Amino acid sequence: MKIAVCIKRTPDSESRFRIAASGAAIDDTGLKFDIDDFAGYAVEAALQINEKAGGGESVVIAIGPDSVQESLRKAMSMGVDRAVHLKADAVPADGIAIAKALAAELQSGGFDLVLFGKHSFDSSSAVVGTATAELLGVPCVTAASELSVTGGTGVARRELEGAAELVSFPLPAVVTIDEGVARPRYPSLKGIMAAKKKPLETKPAQLGAARVTVQKAQLPPERPAGRIIGEGVAAVPELVRLLQTEAKVL
Amino acid sequence: MTAGNVVFLFVLVAATGFFALNVQRLVRYLRLGYSEDRTDHPLTRIRNVLEIGIAQKKIFRDPIAGPMHALIFWGFMVLTAGTIEIVMAGVIPEFSFELILPRAVYLVYSASQDIFAALVIAAVAVALYRRLVLHPRRLEGDDLEHTDAIIILSMIAGLMVTLLLTNGFLLAADPSAFGGEKLISRMIGRAITQTMSPRSALLRYHIFWWTHALLILAFLNYLPYSKHLHVVTSLINVYFANTSGPGTRGAMRPMDLEADVEQFGASDVEHLSWKNLLDGYSCTECGRCTAACPANITGKPLSPRKIVVNTRQRLMEKAPAVTGDRMDFMRSALLHGGDDDSYASIGGDVAEHQLLGAYITDEELWACTSCRACVVECPVSIDQLDVINQLRRNLVLTESRFPSEMQPVFESLERNASPWAFDAGDRGRWAEGLRIPTMSEMAERGERPDLLFWVGCMGSFDDRAKKITVAFARIMQACGIRFAILGQEESCHGDPARRMGNEYLYQMLAKNAIETLDRYEVSTIVTHCPHCFHQIGNEFPQLGGNYEVVHHSTFIERLLEDGSIPLATAEGKRLTMAYHDSCYLGRYNDVYDAPRETLKRALPVVTLVEPPRTKDRGLCCGAGGGRMFMEERTGKRINVERTEELLATGADAIAVACPFCMTMISDGVKAAGSDVPVLDIAEVVASSLAVVSNGVHA
Repeated sequence: MKIAVCIKRTPDSESRFRIAASGAAIDDTGLKFDIDDFAGYAVEAALQINEKAGGGESVVIAIGPDSVQESLRKAMSMGVDRAVHLKADAVPADGIAIAKALAAELQSGGFDLVLFGKHSFDSSSAVVGTATAELLGVPCVTAASELSVTGGTGVARRELEGAAELVSFPLPAVVTIDEGVARPRYPSLKGIMAAKKKPLETKPAQLGAARVTVQKAQLPPERPAGRIIGEGVAAVPELVRLLQTEAKVL
Repeated sequence: MTAGNVVFLFVLVAATGFFALNVQRLVRYLRLGYSEDRTDHPLTRIRNVLEIGIAQKKIFRDPIAGPMHALIFWGFMVLTAGTIEIVMAGVIPEFSFELILPRAVYLVYSASQDIFAALVIAAVAVALYRRLVLHPRRLEGDDLEHTDAIIILSMIAGLMVTLLLTNGFLLAADPSAFGGEKLISRMIGRAITQTMSPRSALLRYHIFWWTHALLILAFLNYLPYSKHLHVVTSLINVYFANTSGPGTRGAMRPMDLEADVEQFGASDVEHLSWKNLLDGYSCTECGRCTAACPANITGKPLSPRKIVVNTRQRLMEKAPAVTGDRMDFMRSALLHGGDDDSYASIGGDVAEHQLLGAYITDEELWACTSCRACVVECPVSIDQLDVINQLRRNLVLTESRFPSEMQPVFESLERNASPWAFDAGDRGRWAEGLRIPTMSEMAERGERPDLLFWVGCMGSFDDRAKKITVAFARIMQACGIRFAILGQEESCHGDPARRMGNEYLYQMLAKNAIETLDRYEVSTIVTHCPHCFHQIGNEFPQLGGNYEVVHHSTFIERLLEDGSIPLATAEGKRLTMAYHDSCYLGRYNDVYDAPRETLKRALPVVTLVEPPRTKDRGLCCGAGGGRMFMEERTGKRINVERTEELLATGADAIAVACPFCMTMISDGVKAAGSDVPVLDIAEVVASSLAVVSNGVHA
């Protein structure tokens, strides 16, 4: 099966973030970037589907400056066969602009399956996957926690609030991946060495017009430090009073 | 030449010829391993042979089996002279050393043969008693191993008995054959004289002479098929070993990651060095390593002995198939009653088998704490840990197969340069308000500190370990030492990754750390983490990083010795403390006394107590080799086992000198429901500090 995985490069979630001088983005200095967590699950899902089928081809695609090539190589070190870098100075905030560039690339690729992470850690818009499906005119399943393919039909499990559903769909299709599929594998050194020799194609990204822009970025308010009221039974009345009057939870 | 001489010469040539063929075969098998130079530092190697080999230094670590083995070994050395005489007498009529040696020397030689034959018999009796009656746990082997041991012990006993009887019958036939120096033979001779004529005695002398001579040749030819091949290989093995030097003890093998190969690390015997394979020939399966292994003691599947035995077994399985050699069928023929065809039946498996998988499982390899107890214990300098480390490298680098808990550790090391997912920016937070400069702050002022305090990831991020960091910093401040930290610029040196088999990640991290250290032209480093101490001091030179690294135990001890540390007057209550040895401080770097001295100097009324397993026999806390980051699902927890030993000393407090030991032993104390405090030696010293000059109070 021919599977495309569209990945995004995002900063490590454990980082300490600062707002950039522009006031409309986070400051990249000192941040460690890697394949976005959900996109990592999508790469793993693609590899497992082809491994199970005993053949096929997987292609990883990313939009951005040259630094995304590091993430493309990493996906190839995990086992993806080749990579396409759609070059752009920056990744726009408008998911549809991104989807247009991806659809332009995917259109003629003859892919059976196009996988995305269900959303990215940094922008959380969850737009690109669905918009790409629309532009390609193929079915779209979002937030699949399990995915299997038999013949020309895919089956996905979707976790809902307090329930789960199984959906089936004809291929080709777009699926966005939730965690739940196997944890992304750790690349072996053998894989890393092999990835250096795998093809990585670079071409300009045909981004659509960006109609959404970020005006201002803000850090969440700092959490106030905890307060120790006292110790033992003596502190209980004060605690109850504060829970009623201040926290208003009782 | 008599007819007897001719027959003996024929037998001798046939027997030594067959032995030579076997030696050639075994050497050919060794070539399956990759080549590696082990001829450097001949003087150190000769010293090792004399100490560990001839003087049996490590053998004596066992108070019962030690003297027993040493007697057999020295007996063999002495009796080899007699064997040469016997062989020569077999070929040259009437030959005796008496003809060529000065009288006095001959008498000593002649008496020694008698005495040592008797001593060896006594030692063999002890060995058989241990094996057949006492059944020590460490001698638990399979049936093959037991049969082999009994055959060898019987052969040795047979050699000694026939030697004494040969001489006894000779003396009964001709009382002038030897002088009074052969006391025991003479007693036997006298006893024989009372039962038979000199003529019958002479006939029996010939029978026993031939039995003895043929037994020698049989013994020689049995060795290549036996675990007792160590008789031939162990001194050679000690010479070529690096476990007691030369080179840096405990340093993992350098690895060229640029090499264009498909295989990283080892999954089968041909990926190991010839020395690893020679280790296999030298193992007598004495089990000292396994008896000292913390994983094995607490019920994990790992046995260092099994690792070595498996390496030999796999070599014996694969090498004949690869080299087209079928001589090895003798082993199974001798021991199983099998035949030549037994090889044909396993033909298919040989190609599919690997050392990893068919012999050694992943679980065994991941159970290792890299504590080095096995290596230190081995009387013939086998390096069990080297094989484990090379197999782990294969698992991670080639196969990417390891316990799932390790992946977040690798990823965190990649992203945050720390095994835990903490932001690198928070590394220096413990120092806030302590007026400790960073290297970059000092560089901006155009200054350079006398030394760099390398804090380590535990010391920077772990809440308990941060207290050790602060305690050590306060001691240095109290002494007016000009030191600095790297703060945010410090990054893991990669030791956890290296020990877990991820050499690629290790080299990235290590090179990065070396770059930082070299940028500030750092030459002297102190650290309170034995893993940082070992890695930066002993393994960074492999990658071009050369620094003098001092562990805080040694550093504080020196300061106390100089009287540089302003201690409060000693009015403390009488305190009993047990010190727990860190493996990377002790067995890797021989630092045993400095932490103990530190405690004694800081607390004049302290009584140090030792658990039974201590110093180079100390039991690991269970955190080494990346075990800190893995679940311990099988058997008893190692830290609990160790803590129970420490608590059993009745100590009021337990002292450690490693932040990893701190975590493990503290958890152990909690698990035991005890409230005995666990303190780092720096905390003990810091709590005895007088008021510090900069206004910080003790």
